[in-house]
Amino acid sequence: MSQSLRPYLQAVRSSLTAALCLSNFASQTTERHNVPEVEARTSPEVLLTPLTVARNENERVLIEPSINSIRISIKIKQADEIEHILVHKFTRFLTQRAESFFILRRKPIKGYDISFLITNFHTEEMLKHKLVDFIIQFMEEVDKEISEMKLFLNARARFVAESFLTPFD
Amino acid sequence: MSIIREHTAATLSDAWRTINIDALDPDSSSNFDVSTLHPPQPEITEADVRQLASQVRQLLRGGDAEGALRSCLEAPVYNAADALAAELALQTVTEVLQSIKASEMTPMLRGIYAAPGGSEGLDVLMKYLYKGMAATSSASGGSAPRTPTRMTPQPTGLSQFSGRPGASAESTGGAMSVLLSWHEKVVEVAGLGCIGRVMTDWRRV
Repeated sequence: MSQSLRPYLQAVRSSLTAALCLSNFASQTTERHNVPEVEARTSPEVLLTPLTVARNENERVLIEPSINSIRISIKIKQADEIEHILVHKFTRFLTQRAESFFILRRKPIKGYDISFLITNFHTEEMLKHKLVDFIIQFMEEVDKEISEMKLFLNARARFVAESFLTPFD
Repeated sequence: MSIIREHTAATLSDAWRTINIDALDPDSSSNFDVSTLHPPQPEITEADVRQLASQVRQLLRGGDAEGALRSCLEAPVYNAADALAAELALQTVTEVLQSIKASEMTPMLRGIYAAPGGSEGLDVLMKYLYKGMAATSSASGGSAPRTPTRMTPQPTGLSQFSGRPGASAESTGGAMSVLLSWHEKVVEVAGLGCIGRVMTDWRRV
């Protein structure tokens, strides 16, 4: 792991651990409903201060805590146009399968590439430290995955171009 | 008269369904007055912040970095008169943080934490750290959006060898890594409760 990645992930880990302190809280506006307050935004007093952890301007995490849910949005590093396309395709692949990831949000919030929504029901069912580990592991893996895909794409493009141009040799 | 006649164009359209009626109801929970959640704070003008900043710089020049940090944390700018004052306060804190060497961080934080009211001081520092990371990323992110139109076309297959387009981000990345290492040290000294208090405190810097 690179030297500057470690404090970044450590900061995200401690912020997430502190923020994942959720309790059951029914909606105050609609009777017999129980909605994630961070999404509904019907009660301003239960929304807590949003926290941003940034490594540089292209890599940051926004954590929006509330009483019964937190929303984590990740902006993945995109150094150039190819990475931009790869990140888009990759996050699209994941969000289309959001129901098998439980905490994945179907649509990222504006300015970020992928969002997770953890409610108190998730923390009741799953282990909190495992949830934090999952997010951290995702952040570690996604950078590796994107640069791997980019190398593969370039190798493939070179091969295709070579075999396409062979007849004109 | 048929009931259909009584409909006008306005009632037939379903635009009224999108009105958030909770916002119009004074008793609704969405109109909760959040200013009741924190004690009233004195308004701090830009001149006050400038005065504090010059004091802090003087301490820094004198080599008293701990005193500079302490005086920043003792007078947090909670209720800034305008955005410029808040920005200036954040800049002052960042300047102090950047001038302190990595090896001096932990002993200094321990000293502040052990002093009376030190726990609150570190909470304030944590607020500034999060604010610093949020401000730098949104300010520079807004001016240079990562859109394909702004990107220069790169020769296929060679893009990983070309200069990193993120090179301009190195300067902000440097400031960010200072904030990240401070973040780690503050959590080490003051614990996770420090982050919890940043989230739940309505007095925001």
